[in-house]
Amino acid sequence: MIDIQKLHLSFDGVSDVLSAIDFKLEAGEFVAVAGPSGCGKTTLLNLCAGLVDLPEGQHLHVAGAPPQLGNDTVAYMLARDSLFPWQTALDNAAFGLKVRGVTIGEARDRAGEMLKRVGLGGFEHALPKALSHGMRQRVALARTFAMPAPLLLMDEPFGALDAQTKLQLQDLLLQLCQESQRSVLFVTHDLSEAVALADRVIIMSSRPGRIIADVAVPMARPRSIRELQTNDEFHRTYAQVWRHLEEGWTHHEG
Amino acid sequence: MKVSTLLNFVRHALFVSLLIGLWEWGARTDVIDQSFVGSPLGIATFTVNNMFDLRLWGDLGWTMFSVIVSFSIGSSAAIATGLAFVTWPKLEAFCEPYVNALNVLPRIALVPLFILWFGLGVGSKIAMGVSLTFFIVLSSTIAGMRGVSQDHVTLTRTLGASSRQMFFWVTLPGAVPVLFSGLRLGIVYAFLGVVGAEVIASERGLGQQLSYLASTFDINGVWSLLIDLALVGVLIMKSMNWLERRLLHWQ
Repeated sequence: MIDIQKLHLSFDGVSDVLSAIDFKLEAGEFVAVAGPSGCGKTTLLNLCAGLVDLPEGQHLHVAGAPPQLGNDTVAYMLARDSLFPWQTALDNAAFGLKVRGVTIGEARDRAGEMLKRVGLGGFEHALPKALSHGMRQRVALARTFAMPAPLLLMDEPFGALDAQTKLQLQDLLLQLCQESQRSVLFVTHDLSEAVALADRVIIMSSRPGRIIADVAVPMARPRSIRELQTNDEFHRTYAQVWRHLEEGWTHHEG
Repeated sequence: MKVSTLLNFVRHALFVSLLIGLWEWGARTDVIDQSFVGSPLGIATFTVNNMFDLRLWGDLGWTMFSVIVSFSIGSSAAIATGLAFVTWPKLEAFCEPYVNALNVLPRIALVPLFILWFGLGVGSKIAMGVSLTFFIVLSSTIAGMRGVSQDHVTLTRTLGASSRQMFFWVTLPGAVPVLFSGLRLGIVYAFLGVVGAEVIASERGLGQQLSYLASTFDINGVWSLLIDLALVGVLIMKSMNWLERRLLHWQ
């Protein structure tokens, strides 16, 4: 789904924003990218989305071709819900489909189904101002999953939520992914979130931004956030990821 | 009505009646000179008589016509220019010194030129109104479009929206709150420009009637006209508020 080989990136006078990145994401895989702020994880995501121009001669393929804005295979989700305050929950959830040329009636039908799926049945005609943070991010999830894009790029989608809401939405994301078989590249700075959700956790370190570890997460699916709290494998993997991240820091300070 | 609002109303009513009473008493006892400040009763008489005079309604029509036309031309030109400036920042950089120079010019000083070019009729009044409305709406258009949420823009770009879709679905609705406060000021300035130009020289209009009454020392008439103008102003603001509630119910 994503294929990156020996990627180097420098911009705005900052050299080695990304350095020697080798990375593959197979179809159906859920990969989390964790690391300190400034390690280039968001830049990596934005490169895949086509938001950052890929320099000449670099190899980065998304679904077999260089990334391109508006690529139908990709759906992008941000930390803030970025709902339009002038549109109802239903129209917000239908927005992605509408831009991609689905007729408004069909887009609304599919968006309505997704809203029910994320637990917002009955809130179709609510404006964002009437919804809580968690509900707004649910609408954003509905907007993302309403699109049939096989690859989801997520930039800390739960980063702005309180701890409780975050756990609920992580659970919801697990269910949605298990139902619809998407490939996900998920950027986060929350290690337990990374381990709970992903099949693999990529750990990056900053200056230069590079991959320092690639940890496979062994827990079987379907998973639930609640069960993971008492799962030994979860805690072992979490400790392992944490150790790699620490190595990155000492290496950096040394 | 709540007690506090009622109390507030009573307070204001008392204050205004006291003021009017003092004024009327002063005018009748010649403590103050009627030929300079008029009298409340005189103003009331003039206002009622004037209401049955077709001339007032004709003048009101002329003024409102000029205000609406100059507001429409001025604000649509400003929105188009603002859009061009936001789309091509180089164009904005090039035009900036000229726009600034025109903007700091006391526009009312252009009236003699406008009268020369467009005559004593509505043409020169509309030109004046446009010149005031344009700059106010231009700056709020630019501020509104620049202030559109970057998250909205990023998301819409990743979806592959065309520039048309981006404009009509994201930039324009996102700019409406700021743009609207500019339009609200713009229509007040259009009113100011039109009446100002009418006072200076005109065939018709409320400003012309006011200027005529002042030059014939009909002070009660001048007061009456000022009240009419204030009422028109309030009416304009009320209709803008109504429009804002309809357009921005989502806020």
